[in-house]
Formats: sequence, structure tokens, C-alpha cells
Amino acid sequence: MAILRFPLSRIEGHARVEMEVHDGQVMTAHFQAIEMRGFRYFMQGTSAEQMPVIVPRICGVCSTAHHVASVKALENIFDVEPPELAREIRELLLLGQLIQNQATSLFIFTMPDRVGASSLFHMDESEADPDHQLSLARRSLKVRQVGTNLITLAGGQFIHPVKAVIGGVTSGIQREPAEAMLKDIEALLPVACELFDAYWEMSMAMGERIGTWGDDQPAYYIASTGRTRPRLDSDTLRVLGPDGVERASFPPRLFRSYLDYEDTAYSYAGQTSYQGQVMRANSLARMNLALSMGTPLADGYLEKLTHTFGKPAHPILLFDLCRGIELVYAFERALEILAKDLDYEDTEVPYTLKDGEGYGLVEAPRGPLIHHYIVTDGLVREAEFVIPTVHNMLAIERALKVAGERYISPEAINLELEKAVGRVVRAFDPCIACATQ
Amino acid sequence: MPENSTLPRFAVLQLSGCAGCEVSLINASEWVDQYQLVYMPLVVSTHAVPEDTEVLLVSGGVRNDEDIYNLRRAVEIVDRVVAVGTCAISGGVANLGDRDDVRAMFMAGQDRHHLPHLLPKSHPVDSFVNVDLYLPGCPPTPELFMAALLDPENYQASGIVCGECGRKKLKDMRPQHLVGFQQGEVLPDICLINQGYLCVGSSVRGGCRAICTRPGHPCVGCRGPSDAYIEKESQVWFDRVQNVFERMTDIPPDEIRDALHSPQLSMFLFQFTDYADANRPPRPKEKVL
Repeated sequence: MAILRFPLSRIEGHARVEMEVHDGQVMTAHFQAIEMRGFRYFMQGTSAEQMPVIVPRICGVCSTAHHVASVKALENIFDVEPPELAREIRELLLLGQLIQNQATSLFIFTMPDRVGASSLFHMDESEADPDHQLSLARRSLKVRQVGTNLITLAGGQFIHPVKAVIGGVTSGIQREPAEAMLKDIEALLPVACELFDAYWEMSMAMGERIGTWGDDQPAYYIASTGRTRPRLDSDTLRVLGPDGVERASFPPRLFRSYLDYEDTAYSYAGQTSYQGQVMRANSLARMNLALSMGTPLADGYLEKLTHTFGKPAHPILLFDLCRGIELVYAFERALEILAKDLDYEDTEVPYTLKDGEGYGLVEAPRGPLIHHYIVTDGLVREAEFVIPTVHNMLAIERALKVAGERYISPEAINLELEKAVGRVVRAFDPCIACATQ
Repeated sequence: MPENSTLPRFAVLQLSGCAGCEVSLINASEWVDQYQLVYMPLVVSTHAVPEDTEVLLVSGGVRNDEDIYNLRRAVEIVDRVVAVGTCAISGGVANLGDRDDVRAMFMAGQDRHHLPHLLPKSHPVDSFVNVDLYLPGCPPTPELFMAALLDPENYQASGIVCGECGRKKLKDMRPQHLVGFQQGEVLPDICLINQGYLCVGSSVRGGCRAICTRPGHPCVGCRGPSDAYIEKESQVWFDRVQNVFERMTDIPPDEIRDALHSPQLSMFLFQFTDYADANRPPRPKEKVL
């Protein structure tokens, strides 16, 4: 038996793929997380009030989702409801995260695969028109920058936000910076659409060239967003069956009744299933669960997706296209919120510490994220992080096995496999720093 | 931005960390015209640091045996090594795991045979290799990245975070106790210490533009001690924070001392990996941006 090992790049964190091959048969395909820091252990004993500023450090890419999930879990324990202004600023934070993440995944992680470059920073730009527009790479970075700037505006610190606190946010957003941000987003929304259109075309071209969209088998889908518009801070998870029928809907405190978790001996990350079935989280799950997006341009793209691929759609490379729809949605939704007054004084409500157990759910770009804490005497006694990437582990491995079987025969290994492995993993946009913490 | 052999080449080695430093670097896009990025697994598909690389940025702490191997191999190739971010410099948040009880749970529950082996604790980069420049922050701002890559000698920042914060220190507003966020609103424009927050910006090195304190969150010290304290023992830094609070508030000194020395306080966990088991001199302030 031979073992093929593939290092991975252009994903968040340290991971690799190992395939065991015997007589040209792929016996196993393992997606291995190869790093771990141990947050669930060393958070024990931390002051509860410090959690929202510490947990973003689980991941510099998903930091905002951890920041808000942490605050929600603590508010659940202390029984406090943040004022409306705080909700809006937190939504802006999550939208900034969605823009930054989807733009990073689309343009920095996966676009090089579409054009055969090793990175966005090494793309051939000769076809760009220097007189009229910035090149593809530069425009991509500008669109991504909108997300970063939105996180900074709504979260204070630009990578590890600080403004969400138990009971609210530390400050509102003044009119002047809000207006400047509005103008930026308005100017870059058409650029984001242009880039997404180009990306869509490149993806379709690639599908024809290599003759595959990857693992197209039906799966279960999990997300926590709304049916008619993506709510990023809902309190309900939903599971869709492979046939498009909704199978379950439950609050985060009941997740163990619906999802089965297992540790693995070959990875520092575990894996979850929906009652033993392969499940998918992230953009495709949300689009399969969404009837509409609630903003005009994003709704147009969602209709195009549904019209072209049906609903629910299962080809894994559609994850990438769904990220583009969400990128456009996040631009449009941010415009709606920034048009409101975000500078009045009602930012926080007081709270008192008490012992208890709480859950905080947010829809992170990679899927539903749950923080679960037990607090005694103001200190965290236990912390559990239920990570979206872990919900995708079985689906990633199933897709890798499909890719392996396609390119490995008893006679030869087609070297296209190495590229296919990268494309498959990147479609799921896994986050290893989060998955292992 | 396209490949250009005349531009100096730099690489980014990611050890065990959160990638926040890398994201900050991507946010600083000015380098794309002045440097050629040759290795950074987050964004480039190359699997080793190539020859002729001039500058190596190292982020993350040394948490497993593969981190040690990759670090030692990479520094041999380059001319200049920059330790980036709090994890690489002093252990960072992950260093909170440097407690016996945590270590016992961690090693028992998580070691895996066929994967890189976890070390008992997270180590700073300079426990293993020499570092030419330290770029602290969690993460360093894009401006700091640019300064480190382009002109570290002439970089000037405020000495302390207070110099960039702009909140007014009031003589007649003296809190009786540390209160944290339980009180509700944070008042705009007034020093957070006057409002009873444990803010340590008065002795933390500037250069971050006070991005946490200006919107209302106390400084947790991610950039580490200012030049006045960086070459001294940590106790001198603690004493300085203590003095500031005794001068500006009526909070009982014991309450401040207990809060500062709580091992779970985020300020503490940002800084003190130090060299307890390595016997090295402190990092010279000339090497810290």
C-alpha cells in the first residue's frame, strides 16, 4: 500500500491530505489538521468579561465571528439583551467579516486556480487595461479592503475587534465616518459585481475543461441564517435534507441532540455528522436554505444560480459561486445599515454577573459557530467551541476520495490530482486554526 | 505586483498562530510595488522558502516539532529575520496554556502519533533562532508592517498608547473600584482609567494608533512595554501601572495588584513568556519597532 501526501496552501491554517492507495484503489482520504494551540483548555479560569477580547485570537480570519459569538454566549448566561444600536453595529461587524472572508476565498484562495497562477500576487496582468481600470488583482484587493474597513469601523481594532461587550457595544459610529464608508461601498459595489461575473465565467470555463465539478453527490446542509434574508445572528440552526426538505430546526443549546461529534486519531480536528449522515456547512448550505436574499442584486444572482443548477444544488464548486452572491449581499446590506443613525447614546445596558451556562450562535462565513461557556464566580469554568469547519470534515473527505478515484488507476496516478485536491479543499474554505483552536 | 526579479524578495513563515498577522500584512498592500512575496502558504502555493530570499517574517509561536524544523530551515536561507506579532515574540494568547493543570489535560487528551508532536508549551521564536527585528502587536498594524519592511531605522511612533489615544485625563474623576463593563455606557473622550477600567496604555508602546482605547476598550497591552520598561524585569512594568492607578484613582492598591497579577488577565497573557528556562538577556529596545 502506498500513501500519497499532499501539502496544502491558500487555505487558513496548517493542514494536509493523505490518501492510502492499494492496487490503484483509494482506501482512505484523510484531511488532517496538523496544528493545535488548545483554547478549550487554557480558557478555563479566564475572567468571563475578558473572553470577547481573547477569543478572536482563535483565528485572525474568523475573529469577528468569535468576538460576537462570545458576547452572545455571555449575554445568554447573564440574561441581558443588548440595545438595538448594538445589534446593528454587531451586524455591520459580521457583514465586514463576510465581505473580507468571501473576497479572500474568491480572489486570494481560489481565483489563482482558475487562471493557473500560484497566487493572486503572481497573476499575469498583461490583459488588464491600465488606462481605464485597475488590474484584476488590484481590484480584488480593493473589494476585500471594504470588509477590513467595515470591521475597523464597527469593531475598533481591525483584526481582533473590541467594541462588542457584554450588554452592547462600547461606542456607536459617528455620521462622518459612516458617510465615508457608504461612499466607498457604493463606489466598489459595481466593481465587486464585475469581478464576480468574471469569476463566474472563469469557473464555468474550468468546469468544461476538466470535465468535473468535483463531488456532486447529495448531502445534508446546515446553516443558521433566515429563510428570506440572511440573518447572521439568529438563534436557530436549520438542517436541510439532500432532497431539499427541511429536517430539523433547533436552538444552539440542543445541538448535541442533532449532531454527532467524533474525535479522530489522524487529525487535531474532530468531525461532526447529522445523525451519521454527511453534512455540509458554509455558503452552499446557506444558499440551499435561502428562499431569497432580500437585496436586489444578490437576489438576481441567487435566481441565476437556482435557474442554472437547481435547488438544492450539490456540486461542490458551487460553494465558490455562492460566496460571490454573499459578497454582493453584504455590500448591499451594509449600505442599508450605514444609512441609519448609528451615533446615538444608547450603546450598552448594565448587567450583573451570575453563575450559569450559555450558548452564543452566529453564522460565520464558514457556517454556524457556537460558543458554549459555563461560568462560576465570574470565571469561565468550561469553554466549548463548535466550529463550522468541523461540520464539513466528512464532506471534504468524501469529495477527496471522489477526486482520488477519478485520477488514480492501477496503472498510473494522473498528476492533475494534486490540483484537484487543492480545488476540492478550497471549495469548502476550511479554517484549521478554528477547527483545532 | 507581477514577478520582477529586481525587487527584494521576502517570505512569511507561519508557525502556530491565528493568521491575524498575515491578514494585517495583506491589508497593507503598499508593499506589492516594492517587495516580491515569494513564500506565504496562506496566499501563495509554494512549499518552501526559496533561495535568494532576503527577509523572513515569522509569525506564530513555536508549538510543535514541525514548527522548530521549519523555523531552523528557513532562517538559514535569509539575510534578515523579523519576529512578527505577540505569539512569535513573547508567546501571545496561546501562552496562557503555560500552566501545569492545562498542560496535563492538553498533552493527555490531544497528542497524536502521526502528526507533528505538540511541545509542552508555546515558545517564542528567539528561543531557537536569532532575530534581527521585533515587530510586536496582536497583530501589528499595516503601517507597522510597512515600516518593518521598508525603513525600520527611521520609524518614529509615540512612546506610549496614551500619546495616540486623545482621551482626556481628569483630575477630579476618581473611581473607587475597578468596574469593567458592568456599569453600562463608556463615556466618550474621557480617560478610561478615570472611568474605572483597567487600561494599561500608559506604559504600553505606541504605534497602534490607539485603535482599541479610542472606541472605548481598555488597552490590553498587546504591543508590550514601552522603551522605558522593555529592558527591565516585568515587575518594574507592573509597578509602573500600579503607580498610575494610585495617582489617578482611589481604587485600593490591593485591588489593582490582584487584578494585574491575575494569571488570566489578557494583558498578562499577551506578554510574559519571557526566558524563564532559557537564561537569555532581554530584547534590546533598538531591535523592537
